Amino acid sequence: MTDLICIGAVAGAYGTRGEVRLKSFCAEPSDIAAYGPLLTEDGARSFDLSLGVQVKNGFAARLSGIRTRAEAEALRGLRLHVPRDRLPEPEEDEFYHVDLIGLTVVDTGGSPIGTVSAVVEQGGGELLEIALPGRAEAALVPFTRAMVPTVDLASGRIVADPPDGLLPDTDDG
Amino acid sequence: MSRSVWKGPFVDAYVLKKAEKSRESGRNEVIKIWSRRSTILPQFVGLTFGVYNGKKHIPVNVSEEMIGQKFGEYSPTRTYYGHAADKKAKRK
Repeated sequence: MTDLICIGAVAGAYGTRGEVRLKSFCAEPSDIAAYGPLLTEDGARSFDLSLGVQVKNGFAARLSGIRTRAEAEALRGLRLHVPRDRLPEPEEDEFYHVDLIGLTVVDTGGSPIGTVSAVVEQGGGELLEIALPGRAEAALVPFTRAMVPTVDLASGRIVADPPDGLLPDTDDG
Repeated sequence: MSRSVWKGPFVDAYVLKKAEKSRESGRNEVIKIWSRRSTILPQFVGLTFGVYNGKKHIPVNVSEEMIGQKFGEYSPTRTYYGHAADKKAKRK
């Protein structure tokens, strides 16, 4: 599991009083303010955040300790993180994308299939993108109870039961 | 302008044939189709289609709420990964 999760980035300075233009990567953009002090990638600096007006592609925001435009401009490109444990507990059968990415995928017989490389949102639900060893092309598996019966975050393992033809090995064209 | 009701929903004939064959065989398999324009019919519920997006077949597990939509709506042609951040996936 990842300890620090990137939830936003500084896009540049806003105005002359040390505010920054902040891009939020959260599902609900304004939630970035709810996760409390934001950390740099190495965890060395911490910022309290107060959101201002909404601007194109983000918010005008004030970070603690930043008072001048020059200081704000110097933060351009800075990615802001929060510890994983600060995210609220998901509901039953809900999983954070960050928790799923990197898990090992095995079939119902226990043979390894690959690792989850991304979670793709599709009109009818989510798909797990599974990187297959030795193949450039990834496989997509619908994230349903039928096809992904077990998600074991503690052991870092997902059991998948995809239908015939979904994985390239069983592909008959 | 919407389609005339008397015509019924449009479905490519080969999609119907493949779906029927798969249902009869009872095998758990992906039905590969290229017809993004076909309407999702009630008899497709429960089947998994691989809908072509111009590059690969995207698996679409048909559920009741998809009836009446087109297959293409569930097979995006552009992929944007973005950041995972606090996004959640719900297992259906």
